[in-house]
Amino acid sequence: MQSATQHLSWTKPLTPPAVVLPLKTGIITGLLAIYSAAVGILKLFFERDVIVDTLTLGDLFLATLAACCGAYVWRKSTQAGHIRAAQAFAAGLIAGLILVGLVVAVTQLNLRWMFTALSADLSRTLTYKQGALAGSLMIIAASMSAALCGALLMSMSDSLRRSLLWSMACVLIAGVFQELIQISLRFGGAVAAIRELLYVWGGLTVQGAAIVFFFAFVVLQALDARKRRGAATTLKSPAPKARSQLASALLLIAVLIAFPLVAGSYIGQVMMLVSLFVLMGMGLNIEVGLAGLLDMGFVAFFAVGAYTIALLTADSEYALAQDTFLPSLNFWSALPFAVLAATLVGVLFGLPVLSVKGDYLAVATLGLGEIVRVLVISDAAKPVLGGAQGILQIPKPHIGSFELADPVSLFYLTLVFVLVAAYIAWRLEGSRLGRAWMAIRDDEDVAQALGINLVQSKLLAYGLGAAFAGLAGAIFATMLTSVYPHSFSLLISINVLALLIVGGMGSLPGVIVGAILLIGLPEVLREFDEYRYLFYGALLIVVMRVRPEGLWPSPQRKRELRAAEKG
Amino acid sequence: MTHQPLLQVKDLHVFYDQIEALRGVSLSVDERAIVTLIGANGAGKSTLLRSISGILRARSGSIKFAGASIEQAPAHLIARTGLAHVPEGRRLFAKLTVDENLRMGAFRRNDRRAIEDDRERLMDMFPRLRERTAQISGTLSGGEQQMVAMARALMSRPRMLLLDEPSMGLSPLMVDFVFDTITKINGEGITILLVEQNASLALQIATSAYVIESGSISLQGSGVSLLHDERVREAYLG
Ligand SMILES: Nc1ncnc2c1ncn2[C@@H]1O[C@H](COP(=O)(O)OP(=O)(O)OP(=O)(O)O)[C@@H](O)[C@H]1O
Ligand SMILES: [Mg+2]
Repeated sequence: MQSATQHLSWTKPLTPPAVVLPLKTGIITGLLAIYSAAVGILKLFFERDVIVDTLTLGDLFLATLAACCGAYVWRKSTQAGHIRAAQAFAAGLIAGLILVGLVVAVTQLNLRWMFTALSADLSRTLTYKQGALAGSLMIIAASMSAALCGALLMSMSDSLRRSLLWSMACVLIAGVFQELIQISLRFGGAVAAIRELLYVWGGLTVQGAAIVFFFAFVVLQALDARKRRGAATTLKSPAPKARSQLASALLLIAVLIAFPLVAGSYIGQVMMLVSLFVLMGMGLNIEVGLAGLLDMGFVAFFAVGAYTIALLTADSEYALAQDTFLPSLNFWSALPFAVLAATLVGVLFGLPVLSVKGDYLAVATLGLGEIVRVLVISDAAKPVLGGAQGILQIPKPHIGSFELADPVSLFYLTLVFVLVAAYIAWRLEGSRLGRAWMAIRDDEDVAQALGINLVQSKLLAYGLGAAFAGLAGAIFATMLTSVYPHSFSLLISINVLALLIVGGMGSLPGVIVGAILLIGLPEVLREFDEYRYLFYGALLIVVMRVRPEGLWPSPQRKRELRAAEKG
Repeated sequence: MTHQPLLQVKDLHVFYDQIEALRGVSLSVDERAIVTLIGANGAGKSTLLRSISGILRARSGSIKFAGASIEQAPAHLIARTGLAHVPEGRRLFAKLTVDENLRMGAFRRNDRRAIEDDRERLMDMFPRLRERTAQISGTLSGGEQQMVAMARALMSRPRMLLLDEPSMGLSPLMVDFVFDTITKINGEGITILLVEQNASLALQIATSAYVIESGSISLQGSGVSLLHDERVREAYLG
């Protein structure tokens, strides 16, 4: 140790000069801003108010970029405090200058032939409609102060920073989803009073934003204080913890039941879609998260579930009842067959890839999934599966004489299945089979040497995972009342895998978080639909860099990462 | 005397694609013996152990364990007949705790009470593990990891233990401890096939020993006789 410091004092210090970090970070931030402008998403952001007539999503986006830039510089810098602050400031300056450069370029040159989004209109918005000079100065000032705020946030205590950031997030949510929230608060009385306190017809007011912010902040700080006090005084007793977990789960379910009633049928539809992906996510989680079997052909099982329902229940020429002795079934009696068929296909699917590992497994399963899709479209299968035209006239499920026709009641149906499936997935995880999967995931040779049957365990993982997807497919078919092969594209497999990665591999709550973010959010923010995959890409990169264990990782995974850090 | 050895390997040929790693290896291990297998790097020691435990499939030859032919049996079934393999490099479930690793060792067992007793006994055998039951095993020292690897294998109550270089990378003190433990385990009636680079210690505790060179057995005899063999001294003890 001593010799090392001595050695260092002889040679030049290894830290790069203090200007490199802010320069690099500032340039990257500036380029990100330019990128967002050039692809056109910034324009859309500017059109969406967070606080009515005061703050747009675009302003907030740019400010967040600059703040992240400042925060990054603050965290990475090894300099003394005041130099660090200056570095953050400088990074903000550079980012601001680059943005000003964009404004100048847009006004002086005609870039629209290449980037249609880079219009004079955009530069006017960027300069706060204050003209070139004053506007440019404002951009730089805003960028620098945002960067400084970012650095400031990083210098705060964890608890304070967390509360501040979450409170801002609450304001953001209250602002961006104002329409939805206002619809949910459309009732009279006290509810109306709250609504009028926070919102006007066009959106969140400044007063409303302040109220939301302070309310959230106070609540978060109080919660934090209680948690800290709890951690300090009580010994860790599992019983109350389990009870409070159960309580919050029940609360969540109650909210899920009430929400579509309050928020309307469009939200019901979105939640329906989200819960279908939650079902699939839980299935794929068994394969990938628990057993470590990467599967890019997962959509095949979804398709099998959907087509089984179609063939067994549809009122169409393709229905099996038409040309076989099989009776035409209703949704409920066909459902077990759909799940069973998917399970069977899952096991068959697993057989050829049993000894394939890692990257190769991804490619092999990708191929298998495509085979299923191509088979469905093929001419050979056309007389049975209807080819590209698909199968129409699938009935909706009935309970007694009540038809589950609208999205909200279908959502409730799916919710019930999700709960059952979640319980099964949870039990599986802790079971002997779950331990076998875990062992296989970590070391196949050792797993075998401990007496674990590789073939059986792997096939069970494929089969059970497929069962979940088959269930989702069955509901999907009855929801759309028709099935087409093009509904079962590779993109679905990728979506499900991405939501697992974002939420946290191997974690049930993670599946829900991932599905809400990747499936629900884009549905609600329809106007940004064009940029859906830009958002996916950005989110995946950010999660992988900042929180590789996912947004809501399983305790096991969290521990793994901690062990990896230590070891 | 016509006694049956517990493990008998006959004329085993194992290939990695085109490369013949074992060229007709024969070896037998009597019940309750400690048999040592020594050889240079790449001689095929690990390959032999992996073939015995079924992780690798032999192209020809026979392996009999406890009277049954196991050369075609899948690895998990071989494990269930009481053959436990502690692989080279320990290969713990690095993200699990020590305790969870031990429980994995008892994967095939249902007798909770006895599992608890065994765990307790192993903690006596490896006292350093007792205070580390909740530690993530990836963060253990090399010696501690070796202890967990052996304890995990013992949790399955094996009849025979295949140990692949248990002393690799350990300090002299820890090496002594490991060899003491091996003798102790053997004293409890568990047959041992030990692969070692540390030839001198391994030959000292061995009842019989084999030398493997480029995939075939070049010498065999009692542990003591090999210890004094000129060729062995030159190649492995020098
Ligand atoms: N998976 C594999 N694929 C191809 N060749 C292999 C493989 N594993 C081992 N070999 C080769 O087989 C031969 C025997 O290897 P083995 O691991 O059995 O040696 P070893 O005696 O255990 O050596 P060490 O003392 O270094 O562990 C070596 O030449 C090695 O390169
Ligand atoms: Mg070896």
